[in-house]
Amino acid sequence: MTVSVRGIGWVTKTGYGSVRTGLDQPFAEGEGIHSLAKRGIFSHPFKNFGRLDGVSRLTVSAVALALQDAGIEYSPADKQDIGIIGTSREGSLKSDSDYFRDFVENGRTLSRANLFIYTLPSSALGEAAIHFGLTGPLLYAAGVTGTLGEPLDIAAGIVVAREAGRMLVGRIAAEEVMYAVIEGTQEEGALCTLDEARLIMESAEDISGILRQLYILKVKKGTA
Amino acid sequence: MKAVVVETDILTPFGPGIDACWDALLANRTSLSPVSRFATTAFYSDYGGTVPGLQYDSETSLVMQMLARLFEGTGTKIPGDAKLLLATIKGEIDLLEKSIINGAGEAGESSLNNLLRKVIDLTGTMGGGMVVSAACTSSSAAAARAAAMIRGGEAECVLVVACDSVTEFIFSGFSSLMALDKIPARPFDKNRAGLTVGEAAGYTLIMSEERALREQRTIIGEIAGWGLSDDANHMTGPSRESEGLIRAINAALDSAGVSAGQVGFISAHGTGTPYNDAMEMRAFRAVFKERNVPVYSIKGGIGHTMGAAGLVEMAIAQRALREGVVPPTVNLKEADEDALGWVADRRQAIVPNSIALVTNAGFSGINTALVLA
Repeated sequence: MTVSVRGIGWVTKTGYGSVRTGLDQPFAEGEGIHSLAKRGIFSHPFKNFGRLDGVSRLTVSAVALALQDAGIEYSPADKQDIGIIGTSREGSLKSDSDYFRDFVENGRTLSRANLFIYTLPSSALGEAAIHFGLTGPLLYAAGVTGTLGEPLDIAAGIVVAREAGRMLVGRIAAEEVMYAVIEGTQEEGALCTLDEARLIMESAEDISGILRQLYILKVKKGTA
Repeated sequence: MKAVVVETDILTPFGPGIDACWDALLANRTSLSPVSRFATTAFYSDYGGTVPGLQYDSETSLVMQMLARLFEGTGTKIPGDAKLLLATIKGEIDLLEKSIINGAGEAGESSLNNLLRKVIDLTGTMGGGMVVSAACTSSSAAAARAAAMIRGGEAECVLVVACDSVTEFIFSGFSSLMALDKIPARPFDKNRAGLTVGEAAGYTLIMSEERALREQRTIIGEIAGWGLSDDANHMTGPSRESEGLIRAINAALDSAGVSAGQVGFISAHGTGTPYNDAMEMRAFRAVFKERNVPVYSIKGGIGHTMGAAGLVEMAIAQRALREGVVPPTVNLKEADEDALGWVADRRQAIVPNSIALVTNAGFSGINTALVLA
């Protein structure tokens, strides 16, 4: 079975977009990740977007853009056989600190459940699964370097073994994020092959670097 | 290509080794007791399952203390080319606690990436390493991925290491969620009221059957099938329809090429929370219909060991397969109505030559099911 990349969504500090459709939207002044829920990237309102931790906000935004880029519609009532794997170097470190610092500042007696739930590396993926109705395998997987190569391999293995119809696989680094939709058929309109994506995702240092190379590849291949 | 387990060991609140845990469970004993590591007066419960002899105020994290004990003398058993999958939810979170409470060290030292490097050094694995974290299904998800790598021909040998510890961070968090029972957890009991946090470390070395035979390894058992799913329903509670776990179990049975009728017993996640245990029983009844399959949970014995739970439960289930008997569900006094005839407060014999099902579930609605032969 050939595994291909169907769509990619991304959010950086300066804007957001998607690779196949060529969406590249800079943030206006005063805008940022906090304003994404108002920019129409979700097909139905994202309940409590403002209460999510930073990693979750980035994750669900990039997933929305990736699904849109891949032409996949979603709704909370219609769950889909799609799994999700996320990676990073930091895991939930920021949310860990936020939770425990708050607990200590409250005299080590009161702790907040709404902060605690984001202290798992997989929490952001859970928020994505709930909003987009993703019922496939869900896990955080990170190698020593925190790059996307090995998580991509795991996701491809899941698709090839038909453990899920499609997989979302993505990376967060330095408050930037990208998610790709991969699937097991080489339908017309696929962005690139898994091998092409892997080569880029392993060689580029940061998310912006990966995106630059993906856009170059897209132009070369004429995929849109 | 079959994925077989050739080495496995655990460190639990009952002490080092599978024998210690197995014997205590068979004797219907619990290790759960009031936690003395930190003040628990502000929390919903005092009880936890802690490994004797660990130092909370040490510069070395609790999980690294456990792993150092676990891997003492295992050098020749772990091939250098093994891939490493490290399963945990919070790893060295006690280092972050110290940095925030005492200003000792940097919070970043608690990152899972740092722990991964330490475990690579400790185990001497040079085949590449990766953290796998999927809430309380972390180690069963890692075992599933290890078996998938072997079946898919991507690896010959994978070492899955699992660990999590009882810390103020974890304890306060579960307390804030009102998830703790005031007394030691009572999985599947009519009066169950929550979980008890526990700690453990363990490893399992999984190989292709071909390599295991070539190296004349003793084969402990086979990971014959697996299924992973998500409820896509709620961050902290399971689906009330159980459809996610049902899907995972059916996928695991399909993956193993076996029928539900061949399952001799179920090692359940069985946390002791009202919702989890009810969700599991609904799933078991949906898959196994009217056939009462022996079900047990070990969490009344050692607590909920979080990211390590799946691996410890897999090791105990493999032992149960070999012994032909499953342990009692510790702390069970009166089985809940939906679990009547499935769980027991005494050991239950299993049908010879049957297979085992191990289920786990976690935050974000994650479900795993493993079929062991």
